[in-house]
Amino acid sequence: MRADDTVECHVLVIGSGGAGVRAAIEAEKHGDTVLVSKSLAGKGGCTPMAEGGYNAALREGDSCVLHKEDTIRGGAYLNNPELVDILVNEAPERFLELVRWGAVFDRTEEGEWAQRSFGGQRIPRTCYAGDRTGHEMMMTLLERLRASNVSVLQEVSIIDLLKREGRVVGAVALDRNGELTAFQADATILATGGAARIYDISTNSATGTGDGFAMGYRAGAELIDMEMVQFHPTGAVYPYDARGRLVTEAVRGEGGILLNSKGERFMERYDPERMELSTRDVVARSIAREIAEGRATPHYGVYLDVTHLSPEKIEEKLPMMLEQFLAFGTDIRKEKMEVAPSAHHFMGGLRITPRCETTVPGLYACGEAAGGVHGANRLGGNSLAETQVFGRRAGDTAGRAPSRGTRIDTRQLENYRRKLDEFHSGGVNPVTVVKKLQEAMWNGAGITRNVHDLERTLVDVEKLAKKKLLAQTPMNRAECFTVQNMCLVASLVIRSALLRGESRGAHVRTDIFQSWDAANSPYGHTYISIHHAGIEERKVPA
Amino acid sequence: MKRFTVTVYRHNPAKDQRSRYQTYTVAVEEGARVLHLLHAIHAEDPSLSYRYCCGTGQCGSCAVRVNGEPVLACMTEARDGMVIDPLNLPVKKDLLVDMEPVLGKIASIVPKDVECIPSRDEVEALKPLRSCIECLACVSVCPAMEVAEFAGPLSMKQEMRLAIDPRDSCDRITDAIRDGLFMCTTCQYCWKVCPKKIEIPGKAIEKLRRMANQRGLTLPRHAEVATLISETGRSVPKNQPTFLDQVPEVIEPAGPVRGTVGFFVGCMYNNRLPQTALDAMEVLSRNGIRVIIPHEQVCCGSPLIRTGQTDILPDLMEKNIAAFTCRGIDTVVTMCAGCGSTLKNDYRTPFVVKDVNEILTEIGIEEPARLPIRVAYHDPCHLLRGQGIQKQPRELIARVAELVELPVKCCGAGGGTRSGQPEVSKALAGKRAEEIEKAGVEWVISSCPFCEFHIGEHSKRPVKNITTLLLEGYRRKDQDRGGEAGESAAA
Repeated sequence: MRADDTVECHVLVIGSGGAGVRAAIEAEKHGDTVLVSKSLAGKGGCTPMAEGGYNAALREGDSCVLHKEDTIRGGAYLNNPELVDILVNEAPERFLELVRWGAVFDRTEEGEWAQRSFGGQRIPRTCYAGDRTGHEMMMTLLERLRASNVSVLQEVSIIDLLKREGRVVGAVALDRNGELTAFQADATILATGGAARIYDISTNSATGTGDGFAMGYRAGAELIDMEMVQFHPTGAVYPYDARGRLVTEAVRGEGGILLNSKGERFMERYDPERMELSTRDVVARSIAREIAEGRATPHYGVYLDVTHLSPEKIEEKLPMMLEQFLAFGTDIRKEKMEVAPSAHHFMGGLRITPRCETTVPGLYACGEAAGGVHGANRLGGNSLAETQVFGRRAGDTAGRAPSRGTRIDTRQLENYRRKLDEFHSGGVNPVTVVKKLQEAMWNGAGITRNVHDLERTLVDVEKLAKKKLLAQTPMNRAECFTVQNMCLVASLVIRSALLRGESRGAHVRTDIFQSWDAANSPYGHTYISIHHAGIEERKVPA
Repeated sequence: MKRFTVTVYRHNPAKDQRSRYQTYTVAVEEGARVLHLLHAIHAEDPSLSYRYCCGTGQCGSCAVRVNGEPVLACMTEARDGMVIDPLNLPVKKDLLVDMEPVLGKIASIVPKDVECIPSRDEVEALKPLRSCIECLACVSVCPAMEVAEFAGPLSMKQEMRLAIDPRDSCDRITDAIRDGLFMCTTCQYCWKVCPKKIEIPGKAIEKLRRMANQRGLTLPRHAEVATLISETGRSVPKNQPTFLDQVPEVIEPAGPVRGTVGFFVGCMYNNRLPQTALDAMEVLSRNGIRVIIPHEQVCCGSPLIRTGQTDILPDLMEKNIAAFTCRGIDTVVTMCAGCGSTLKNDYRTPFVVKDVNEILTEIGIEEPARLPIRVAYHDPCHLLRGQGIQKQPRELIARVAELVELPVKCCGAGGGTRSGQPEVSKALAGKRAEEIEKAGVEWVISSCPFCEFHIGEHSKRPVKNITTLLLEGYRRKDQDRGGEAGESAAA
């Protein structure tokens, strides 16, 4: 590649979900900004699929302090308190900004912002647009993006970050035809989302493959709490090929109840106080247990029932759920849904400062790609807020980074070219590797974990990572990189899970007996990078 | 697992001159969607390109055509024998189409300087338009976009969303007019294929035209039609004896009465094509239908609704409804697809409205003689999509002649386009005429006066109404019988 093929910019934003687009809008105020989307901007990522809502302390009786307490309690006290402060303090501002930009959130008859109850909240705090809240936000952000000067490159897959003298100075990518292209940037933001696609059953869109985690790791950045994978309690179980599809928490927020095959409202046994609106880790484990103990529905789930609600309420509050289930043959106004846990969200990710700086100069992260905000379990409604709060912060910090104009080292590109060639002489179909990886992760590093399964799965994953993948056409090259990223992220999850010798939030070790509860845990974040790995110890509160 | 054999469009414009179809047999689980079928094919043949992302009908990445109709691959159940094509947009490769040119042109809100929060009512009005996932199914089927610089249904939806948003500071009406607001033929195809069922013609385009009307921006030719209706009760000038001039208030059938209906003739059949309506009366009468024809009926108001000039609409509606209710009629038959669609969808009638094709197939008609000709049927948009009537006309036609299918396409006559944007209307009719020539038929049959008149002007083939065709079948039958009777008498 000739050097002049390189796209030069001040800020390079990788990822086009809620966080990436928000970051780009902010960064562009300071200099040339390029947004690179692996999909079509706004269509990829998980923001447009997010259904339930956006948490912001807006109503009387609520406060940022309460929001923070709920978030940290829900996060099993593993959250970075400084990041939580930022989330709860700035969420209302970012929400109203979306409204100014044209977002259409539901209003009450009294003229207030409609807010519903989500798990782990003491006060209804989740603002929404029916059950298509993330889509509403994405449409708003896209309008804003289209009206901005951000250059958007669609269907370009960033395959690695490029460094020079210890700094990230750009990235190398494949365009939609599978041809190499390079970017040079003063600041690079990873807004690449999570990696729940490494699991067999997942709510994530096709882009939830953890490329940002993998690229950040290879670039030397530190990741924290990678073992903290949230399993959403309610994923659809039918049809088989679409299993995992998100059934929003709003269904329970609006009054939906969970029943096992015997018709028992089983949450009474697990959390009699909060019932269906307990935190996601608790509800997911309860459902998994009901299924494991033989009280499962015909498609191996439990029932989620809203038939006691009026049809009008379902039509108004849950239109998308109604439409989706109708398409799959269930009228939720008259029939119960069948649901089971589904890999949903990565609480862990790149370690960031309040300014969204990672541990590598020149590299920033926001949204699900970053870790620390949600601790060991994320509250529903907090991640849409996170995309906006930290998206803006990342864009601002990156935008304000000094213009250095450091050239990328084009000699590095030769290595990538060689790698591309290797894919054409490989012999393994990437699709089969993904399938094996997803099954291995689901069985060995899923809702519950133990050292034996984790170690065995790590061996399997490392074997898969070494497979010589085949790209049949140049357009299949990006897929090969993605599969390698998925394998790398899977190994980070397992290694982190092995580091955490306790059960905490979403991470449950069945082989460890512990005498402490989450609030009194002696442990802090797990951390992992190419240089080191470990678990932080913390002072147990007296 | 189930095994399905499906046919998939393949084309790499960078390499291959021509597209081809490839057949695959793959196994998928019970209940699999088209997307899962594509995944299964891709696992075997990684060279197949297609786009997808969320898998839950929310991102609008995966729209393709299945058996010709646009659908979301992730929400449509896979079936054996499906033919999967890309959307009718420029193909990048296989099922991957170029969406960027259209997506890039969607208008953005320009917020006012002053803070302004929409009320609950405003939010509720905006919400239906906000569920759009920009999958471009609508754009891929829009006939006007094929022949004119029309920004298309997606753009119009967005202009409407902005026009009613109190936060927006721009003049969206003039923008919409610039982008071709009056070019839409209201063929309804866009929203019939919309996965979110956003009624763009009725809920965006006609509403924007209404707003344009309130600002005095109605096209002069449309305004003339409105004046004509308010002065004469008819949207078409009278220059010959009308249908109503020629018929009594009640037409008794020749034989025993099998049913009684009211008849709503509509302006086109009354003033411009009265003979066609008379033919229909003969067919109804021959099949035992007693027809009551209130002479005080007026224009249904469709031309006003389509063009946003709805001031006098309530008057027309009241007159028409009263004309039938005061005679105790419980079923009103229409033969104009536009009137039928309007009465069914825009009116709240105390009586049932049925299209003539429905009534004839329901009662079961006397068998006509077969004519030794090949005919093509042109689906009127307001019959096919406005009323969901597809089978009945085909069933009727097949009794008389050999039926040749045409690709389903708007002829360009509707939505006020013929008078307001004649170049768009002509271009569409021209394309229709080409398809008719290709079909190699003697006649074109339709069931809408606008289509019949408009196609008739542009096609070399005669265009006839279904009831006229049936009547010719009956006349041939009578002739044959007369002939037979004569022969036997001679013997």
